Amino acid sequence: MKKVFVFVVVGVVLFSGALLFAADKAVPEDYDEDTYGPKDPIVWEKPVKAVVFDHKVHTMEGGLECDSCHDELFQMEAGAAQENDDFTMATLYDGGYCGACHDGSTAFASNTRCTACHIGVRGSDRLQGDAAAGKKAH
Amino acid sequence: MKIDDLEQMESEDLSTLSSAERRRFLKIGLAVTGMYLGGSILSLISVKNAHAAGVVPEAGTYPYNPHYSMVLREHLCIDCERCKEACVKTNHVPSYGFRTTILEKRRSLGEDKSETIFVPVLCNHCNRPPCVRVCPTTATWKDEKTGIVVMDPSRCIGCKTCMAACPYNARYFKEETRAVDKCDFCLQSRLSKGETNPACVEACPADVRVFGNLADPKSRVFQLVHAPDTMVWVLRPETGAVPNVFYINS
Amino acid sequence: MKGNSAATTSAPSNMAAANKLMWLSLFFILIGVSGAVYAQMVGHHHAFANTREMPWGMLIGVYAYFAIISTGLCVLAAFSHAFGGNQMAPLANRMVWLSIISLLGAFMVIGLEIENPWRMPLGVILYPNVTSNIWWMGTLYGMAVGVMFLELLLILTKRYKLAIFLGVIAAITEALANSNLGAVFASLQARPFWYGSQLPVFFLACAVLSGAAAIVIFTYFSHILQKRPMDEHTFRGLQTAGKIMVLMTFLVTLATLWKFINASVSNQELALAADSLLKGPLAINFWVFEIGIGLILPGLLLVITRLKSIHVLSAAALMILVGQFFSRFNMVVSGEIVPFDYEYVGVPQYLSYTPSIAEYLLVIAGLGVVGFGFVIGERFFDETFHAGSH
Repeated sequence: MKKVFVFVVVGVVLFSGALLFAADKAVPEDYDEDTYGPKDPIVWEKPVKAVVFDHKVHTMEGGLECDSCHDELFQMEAGAAQENDDFTMATLYDGGYCGACHDGSTAFASNTRCTACHIGVRGSDRLQGDAAAGKKAH
Repeated sequence: MKIDDLEQMESEDLSTLSSAERRRFLKIGLAVTGMYLGGSILSLISVKNAHAAGVVPEAGTYPYNPHYSMVLREHLCIDCERCKEACVKTNHVPSYGFRTTILEKRRSLGEDKSETIFVPVLCNHCNRPPCVRVCPTTATWKDEKTGIVVMDPSRCIGCKTCMAACPYNARYFKEETRAVDKCDFCLQSRLSKGETNPACVEACPADVRVFGNLADPKSRVFQLVHAPDTMVWVLRPETGAVPNVFYINS
Repeated sequence: MKGNSAATTSAPSNMAAANKLMWLSLFFILIGVSGAVYAQMVGHHHAFANTREMPWGMLIGVYAYFAIISTGLCVLAAFSHAFGGNQMAPLANRMVWLSIISLLGAFMVIGLEIENPWRMPLGVILYPNVTSNIWWMGTLYGMAVGVMFLELLLILTKRYKLAIFLGVIAAITEALANSNLGAVFASLQARPFWYGSQLPVFFLACAVLSGAAAIVIFTYFSHILQKRPMDEHTFRGLQTAGKIMVLMTFLVTLATLWKFINASVSNQELALAADSLLKGPLAINFWVFEIGIGLILPGLLLVITRLKSIHVLSAAALMILVGQFFSRFNMVVSGEIVPFDYEYVGVPQYLSYTPSIAEYLLVIAGLGVVGFGFVIGERFFDETFHAGSH
């Protein structure tokens, strides 16, 4: 119960805002990919372009464990879900994939706040631009 | 002519002039002055009477039928840019130009949080189009049947005044046709061939773009902009262009 | 005066300088037109620095610059001719010619600037748009140049009465053309920094200012070229032009001041446009060239020297013409520099615009036309230019 509460409060508050600026914020030093999942956000290209998922927002900041989503909702392989035919908004509304939590009670409903996850071609380009710039710097 | 005949003739002095006739005469005078002042007076007379009490015209006062317009359900736009891709493909838009695009704005949600709003933009097919008024060779005009602002590339001299005059950045110079190019609601590429929707509308997966005849109360565009409790807005209303692209959030 | 007798017997040695100037002007035209041909070949889209968001740049400013000079000269010439006996009458014939050549310079620049000049002559006749200020501007300026050529012909053949009549017609046509040029910008609600009733009148004020400056500088050049001492009538005429410059620098400064005060109490878009000149990317153009060199300094110089020195008069005239050049540039760019969607993500507060080499070449073509016209005038109409001074 406590976990759910933490998720609702922290997750809902931080999710979109933190997500928007995820690209701007440097990933903290103590970010451990084994604990929190891949560092780089996943950007889905199907069925529509430029939808983002950021592990850090959900795990490190939201308090979710790996097994909260894997392997029941999503395969471990990053971005694999987009190959499924049912990876659609309609499935989300029925509680599939992100819709398991994004149902309006655990986290904001899938049919609200579209641009929180749909960062758009503009947002995706910006993210990739930053990633490229970041790689260059290393 | 005898003096008696003369008396029987109708007087031609000013007292017999009906006020309607006076007005007509004055109008001719004004029109001539307007011509000489280079349209600075004429330009005040809009292409069609523009009813602009609020941004949505009163029902029944649409100058055209079909009066094509588009309603953009702004908050649903996710910038997937399928509309742009469809437009490019359908209308042979070169890589350096666009007929429609997506803008992005940020709205603060308080503290350091904000939300992103994507704003699809295209030609607003204004009722009082500044671009049409300024073109020296009438290379662009409002289609008499549909109200769509169209271009005849072969008349364009490339002075780019229409680009300067457009409040919506809807025009660009297309090198391939040596003329300014712009959105025509796919009149040429689709509507004239029996399609009912422009390419961008058909391509949109989120039902953001709704296209139709505003003069038809049964059309979806009519119902959306006349729905109760709905806030309808347009871009840059202060320019007086009376646009036909409306934005809503419901 | 002594100078007059020399007028008809200008020493052949001066022709060398005139020849040099002529070849230089032709060279200017040549490289300018080559630049235009190059721009057509690669596409204006690549050759010019203009963009979709900033469709007009330096060349529109330069076109307006020459056209405005032409109007000023034509209007001042008509005043001097029509109300003969005023001090500027000796300069009037030259003003007519200079007005023609600066208008031809303007046509040269605009003709090379637009994308499809070949579609224009038929287009404006077959598909005219009477609500278009640019149509009226072109038509009226086109008519004006025709009327002025006729006027010149009549002056050359000494049929002065009809010439004066045509001069007045030309001046009215030019004034209307000029205010339509103003309205090309001023009627665009989409561009608030241009929009308003001030600009057409401001353009006319600038026309009188730059017309007065042009007649001073060209008369001065003429005397240098012909190695001729300035006679008293001519000098008095130039002094009158000097008075006009003093008055007009003051008026134009005042108009500029109010424009900025007005912008500062308006909305953000206007304030941003005004700031682009006051402290933004156009600040040096504005403060140093348009205001400092173009208005304040020449105004002060003229007042301090009380119009007594021909050299100061000419220097002030040159400064004014430089300032006016920048003024047109600043006017065009500042009207477009704030993007419509400046508050959107990824859109800069100011668009950037730096004229390209091809654009500079076209300006040189315009200067070449004016320079060439000036030499032609000196060669063939010298006698006529001095006829008025008797």
